[in-house]
Amino acid sequence: MKKLIMSALILTMAAGLLAGCANSKKEGQVTIGIGQFAEHGSLDNCREGFLAGLAEGGYVEGENLKVLFENAQADGGTAAQIADNFMAKKVDLIAAIATPMAQSAYSAAKKKDVPVIFTAVTDPVMAELAKEDKTPNGNITGTSDKLPVEKQLEMIRKVLPEAKTIGIMYSTSEVNSVSAIEEYKAVAPNYGFEIIESGISTAADIPLAADNLLEKVDCLNNLTDNTVVSSLPVILDKAQEKNIPVFGSEVEQVKLGCLATVGLDYFDLGVQTGKMAAQVLRGEKKASEINFEVIEEASFYGNNAVADQLGITLPEELVNSAKEMFDEISE
Amino acid sequence: MLTILLGILEEGLVYGIMALGVYITYKILDFPDLSVDGTFPLGGAVTAILIVSGVNPVLTLVISFFAGAVAGVITGLIHVKLKVRDLLSGIIMMTALYSINLRIAGRANLSIFSKESIFENFVWDKLIPDFFSPYLVVSLLFFIIVIMKLLLDLYLKTRSGYLLRAVGDNEALVTSLAKDKGTVKILGLAIANALVALAGSIYAQMSGFFEISLGTGTIVIGLASVIIGTNIFKRFTYFKATTAVIIGAILYKACVSFAISLGMEASDLKLITATLFLVILIVSNERKRRVKGNA
Repeated sequence: MKKLIMSALILTMAAGLLAGCANSKKEGQVTIGIGQFAEHGSLDNCREGFLAGLAEGGYVEGENLKVLFENAQADGGTAAQIADNFMAKKVDLIAAIATPMAQSAYSAAKKKDVPVIFTAVTDPVMAELAKEDKTPNGNITGTSDKLPVEKQLEMIRKVLPEAKTIGIMYSTSEVNSVSAIEEYKAVAPNYGFEIIESGISTAADIPLAADNLLEKVDCLNNLTDNTVVSSLPVILDKAQEKNIPVFGSEVEQVKLGCLATVGLDYFDLGVQTGKMAAQVLRGEKKASEINFEVIEEASFYGNNAVADQLGITLPEELVNSAKEMFDEISE
Repeated sequence: MLTILLGILEEGLVYGIMALGVYITYKILDFPDLSVDGTFPLGGAVTAILIVSGVNPVLTLVISFFAGAVAGVITGLIHVKLKVRDLLSGIIMMTALYSINLRIAGRANLSIFSKESIFENFVWDKLIPDFFSPYLVVSLLFFIIVIMKLLLDLYLKTRSGYLLRAVGDNEALVTSLAKDKGTVKILGLAIANALVALAGSIYAQMSGFFEISLGTGTIVIGLASVIIGTNIFKRFTYFKATTAVIIGAILYKACVSFAISLGMEASDLKLITATLFLVILIVSNERKRRVKGNA
């Protein structure tokens, strides 16, 4: 009996701790939780685009929209905690950026049927967030950011007609990277390239892996690998010493000093996702009724300053088709 | 409110099973075993890949349990036979398991949302009325953790269990009983890591996917739960240590949830954990000192 009373007492204590923090909510205002899995350029752009898309759809932050934002800093446990926390704060919708965040959000939200809108998920079918025919696997939908692998290889061929080998560094722990590597390896021979891959497990492995890889390749190419992209300056430094060009996978990397990319515009990806979210918030459609969308439109971005450093002239045809050319390397 | 409470209980109970394992190594064996950072996701990896290949979810619990035990035995062998220091053998095993887990699951993130699990299957669909379904997870977890706790309590009362406790308290006694203390240590590590992997298996089934980064910081949660539990309930002798540890895990999760709802950012979570941990350690040291001073 004593044990029972004691247990009850502790539970009440825990409950009391939490009771003091009920959520206040203004009339006519919707609350959304944005969970972002890691911190880097493309995902940040995604988030900004998402808010812009929501604004286009009639939901403006601070007016009729309250946004809770959390970043999991690439930790799975934290991602789950963030999703639970959003549920506890009774958000009307969860926006999840990148695969593990989308899975955590879905897992937390499905019991209460709160809609989840994801973005920057490379393979929603493999992540079991959607079925083969693109219909949602529950009250969840969003946009997918498949890398335009063939277009990138075509571009590299044009910039470096003589090159034979491309080095790619990736984290073995990131699903998106592993599937991208497979695609690169399958398609590269069509463009006369051989892919030399180098798998790493933590950011600390990057300097050694870069030294090793740079001995063997004519150029480097990046994926949207969170770990590798976060350490981009290290790789760029080492590549510059050897005068080896590095190709990026999206615009932020070109700003930082990659030679060029045929990349997705993550801001646009976010905008499209934001519009989907607005549709759901207005109650026009449920997330479970919208198929996920794949963005495949990619544009060329180049960096003139990097080209000068390397002594490479970017082909005119590419430069003319560029969505944006950069003349300096941002630190 | 109810959602928050259920969330805390669910998380707390899963990590409570893990904390029972850490209790064995840290409190009973006096062995700071870091391999749990690898064995927790090991349970998840084994479970995810087995469920994807169509194995019964209940069976995956058993298999994960044994996978964890094997990992524990290896940590033990490294320590006992190769004479590597306890902390280091755990670190070695934890590092190795990172790659092993990736190999087992095949990739860093494996979804089992659409598959049946111990929490979602056709049996519950038929048997459980709608009004009860929000409480199903908590009830099942409660059921599992009570069984595990009772089994562990029973085991600690057997001859082998007494030896286990003796190794932590007084190694010389074990030797004088003509028993090999190394073997006892290995056994303890096996049971501990088996429990941790079981928790990992349940966690994967609960969240619907396996993710390689899930193991990071498991040991900290485990140690915090053990220390919170055993210190708070030190005076209440009618509480078994195992019960205290489970309640410790729930309280720990409640504190984290409280910190977040106060507006702390998730990125500060580790700092909160570390601070909480430190405070508890200081408080428990003070008490120890006071007791000594009075004696």
